Amino acid sequence: MRAQAIDHAAMLPLYLAAATAAAALFTGRFAKAAAMIGLGTASAAAVWIGLGPDRAAFAVGEWHSYVADDAAMGAAALFAALAVLVAAVSGRRPGENWFLLTASAAGGIALAGARDLITLVVAVETLTLPLYVLVTRPGRDGAEAGTTFLIASVTSSATALMGAALLYAATGTVHLEGLAAALGDAHAGLAAAGTALLLAGLAFKLAAAPLHAWAPLVLERAPLPIATYLASASKLGGAVAIVWVVAFGLRGTASAGIVVAVLAVASIAVGNLGALVQRRTVPLLAWSGIAHAGYALAPLAVIATAAGREHAGAAASAAFAYAVFFVLLEAGVFAALTAVRAEDGGAVADLAGLWKAAPLPASVFLFAVVGLAGLPPALAGTVAKVAVLEVLASSAVWLAVVVAAGAVVGLAYYLPLARAVLTGRSGAVPRRYAVALTIAALALVAVSLAPQLVLDFTSVSR
Amino acid sequence: MLVLAAALPASGALAVWGLRRKPYAHWIGAGAAGLAFAAVALLPVGRDTGALIAGDGATWWHRVAIPWAPSLHLDFALAVDGVSWTLALLTALLGVLCCLHNAVGAEQRAADLYGADQASASASLQPASAPLQEPAGSVENGGTPGGGDPVTGVHAAGPATSGHLQVATGASGSLQDGAGSVEIGGPPLAAAPVHGVPSGAGGEERDGWQSPVLTALLLAVQAASTLVFLADNLVLFFIAFEAVLLPMWAIVHRFGDPRTRRRAAAKFALFTIAGSLLMATGLFVAIADTGTADLGAIIAAGGVSSGVSLLVFSLLAIGFAVKAPLWPLHSWLPDAHTAAPTVGSVLLAGVLLKLGTYGLIRVAGGLAPEGAADAAPVLAVLAAVGIVVAGLVCLRLPELKRLIAYSSVGHMGFVVLAFAAGTEAGLRAALFGNLAHGLVTPLLFFLAGALKARTRTGSLTALGGLRLAAPALAGLLGFAALASLGLPGLAGFWGEAFTVYAAAERGGAWLLLAAAAAFGAFLAAAYLLRMLKHVSHGSVAPAAFGIGDVSAAEAAVWSPLVAGTLLLGLVPGPLLALFAEGHL
Repeated sequence: MRAQAIDHAAMLPLYLAAATAAAALFTGRFAKAAAMIGLGTASAAAVWIGLGPDRAAFAVGEWHSYVADDAAMGAAALFAALAVLVAAVSGRRPGENWFLLTASAAGGIALAGARDLITLVVAVETLTLPLYVLVTRPGRDGAEAGTTFLIASVTSSATALMGAALLYAATGTVHLEGLAAALGDAHAGLAAAGTALLLAGLAFKLAAAPLHAWAPLVLERAPLPIATYLASASKLGGAVAIVWVVAFGLRGTASAGIVVAVLAVASIAVGNLGALVQRRTVPLLAWSGIAHAGYALAPLAVIATAAGREHAGAAASAAFAYAVFFVLLEAGVFAALTAVRAEDGGAVADLAGLWKAAPLPASVFLFAVVGLAGLPPALAGTVAKVAVLEVLASSAVWLAVVVAAGAVVGLAYYLPLARAVLTGRSGAVPRRYAVALTIAALALVAVSLAPQLVLDFTSVSR
Repeated sequence: MLVLAAALPASGALAVWGLRRKPYAHWIGAGAAGLAFAAVALLPVGRDTGALIAGDGATWWHRVAIPWAPSLHLDFALAVDGVSWTLALLTALLGVLCCLHNAVGAEQRAADLYGADQASASASLQPASAPLQEPAGSVENGGTPGGGDPVTGVHAAGPATSGHLQVATGASGSLQDGAGSVEIGGPPLAAAPVHGVPSGAGGEERDGWQSPVLTALLLAVQAASTLVFLADNLVLFFIAFEAVLLPMWAIVHRFGDPRTRRRAAAKFALFTIAGSLLMATGLFVAIADTGTADLGAIIAAGGVSSGVSLLVFSLLAIGFAVKAPLWPLHSWLPDAHTAAPTVGSVLLAGVLLKLGTYGLIRVAGGLAPEGAADAAPVLAVLAAVGIVVAGLVCLRLPELKRLIAYSSVGHMGFVVLAFAAGTEAGLRAALFGNLAHGLVTPLLFFLAGALKARTRTGSLTALGGLRLAAPALAGLLGFAALASLGLPGLAGFWGEAFTVYAAAERGGAWLLLAAAAAFGAFLAAAYLLRMLKHVSHGSVAPAAFGIGDVSAAEAAVWSPLVAGTLLLGLVPGPLLALFAEGHL
């Protein structure tokens, strides 16, 4: 048997992240600096590899298990950058905290390159596992949140694995490309069941309904920096996993489209209605995040129809682009919240007067909230919505109307949130993390003014 | 020049906002709006009319296109022709007037404050002359209804001043540097009521009245609206359409009537976004069908394919009908207009409603002409119902601004009816009526705002005798009302007359609609004359006692609208010729 040459350049970001995790474990009080520098380097490396030609490793015939194309490297760079942002707004924490965070980011980078079901599921687990520890604050409430997260996560992982196993039983391969080729004449029942279980399990990471209930509870009770990570990088993980599976593996399977359509519509309905009644900031954002998961999934639903399957690439690109814009905005809003709230997110009314008391976090917060509402001048959100609606308008107008209705409801809770920040007066507000927030703000403004930056790497070809 | 037309107000908005603490911020805003007006006014220079003779009968005057996000079909493409230019010019004109209104109002208030300072020192206080800006809050000024003699009224308000002073001094700090001396020098008893005028924001916003922010928001609305009128790319059109929403929401929510503004602003925002997202869906169906987002190219190609034409038109028409507004989707409008500050109402009536009708005529009609033809009867019936309903409602409305707002529903009904008729005459009438409404109704809102600022009430029953109390104001109000009811020789006439003509021309059931429209015009005459009867005639009501007449600054702000109304009424020809060059 011939040993296969490994393209180490393709693996460079993953190596760097893994090495950073190891370093963070042993550098004691320099662990935070080591984690930030290491992940920053990994992010830069991912951008550098992404700008070069597409690479791949671990081939079985034509099919690769690990691919470093533009989309994968863009996602990898984003995972690392979001982890750096989370570290920057974290303050002082014990050393193992940084190890866990970096390990999770390494899982994200692996996920970005994963092109077979086993790598994908393992990467998702690597991304999630460290979070069991990180989300748990000392005390009864924290333990409850941690346990909820653990149970929900394990259940959904088992569901996803079961789905993967059924798909393997139906087609005899775990490579996504192989699935795409073999699903056509596989056992229809097995394939449909596998598709449904796999997608539903992965939807947990994205907090899409019906596996959404953990999100508001866990986000509210986790430390705010970890909530930032859960709302941004972790959700990106879920979105990437689903987009990869659908775009590369299930793009010809109508049942996948139906499953995604159900997930999307349920998420939009549940998330928006849930957010309407929230009076506390973090649960409001968490519920609205469920709705956004629905918007991100919606374009993938077009593969339910024959006409839509011809646009599978465009649909996957739109879903991925929406997810990227969304997690950038979520990262902005949570980072700003972390900067101004010492303990937890508090009630919406507690944000009153932020505009006067802390202009920089308040403007980041406002920009991100307006973006989540999809309105100019925060064009990042508008462009994301345009990307989704363009795909839906071409093959599933009814779903476009559902998305539009969801966005209208969304405005009903985003506007009061913006109003709370703008009006009133507040006492002293902690002033910290100015550099991190400035960089986050610049990134948001950059993707607003030049959305093509994001749209370029999110175009999932093939 | 195209880019400048949109960029100048936008940068002006940023500049005004950045310098909002400076006393000259208003003038920067007015300057930016003035430059933008100049930029728009210069657009016809060097226009390309060659293709008129050669080609398909219509072309853009100028066009500029910069790729922005090609994978979303998003180009920064601007273009202008006779149809969009007139509306852009109207937008720029109203922008300038609103900024001037604000600037003059702020100057006058500053002068009042200064004067009060002087006057209180010599213990001979005169009531402040009525400011241009309608104060949003309730104010215990000298001239309150039933207060009788204004000078004693101030002293009568004395007991109320102790609670009032806190607000007043907070306001003066942000308003004007010089006013700070009042706190030290002026006796509180005398100074407080005068300060009460700018303290309208009151309530939770204790930072006081920040008019420069209002100017900045106005400029933002102006920039976005100009972009809508000039956009030649459907995605850009959608983005610009959405961009109008937030600044307008902020204007109503922040500077509106404190009793109703929250509800009105939320209603406005939700209606508008629902409409614009449906419109967006329609736009994207059209883009998916034609494979391009170039508005001019799609219109030139005859619109989308017939299979989706009706779908596209329905989605777009619902979206624009919310904005226009067309009965029965109009219910946000009276609330928003009534709650908005004067300049907000002016922009709402003069610009935002035009976004709806422009979109309906240019985008919906242009993209899906077949769908438009199919849906025309429905649209026409709704429009006719809207005209009659608005007329009947107006007959009973007790409040001045609400009445003017509701009359807009009727006027826009005429525009939509004319568009639905679909004939050459109908389209011209729609565009003409659109523009005329954009001149007359803002004038009415300016006048109503001035009246409310002077008398502190908009209730028709509480007003009266304006003819005697302020003859020039009453005259202008009469002029605007006559223009609004469509007196021949004034701007309102041509649009409405030709609407009835265009509908009647179609024959059959359309004759009924034409009759309904004519009846609506009759109702308009009835309710506007009723308004004049209440406001201008009769004996002088207590509220109107001793109010100031039109000041020179006010006259300067309003005169372009009066002149435009007269011009359009007397010489409609050049404008109709401009429309003929349009891209329809």
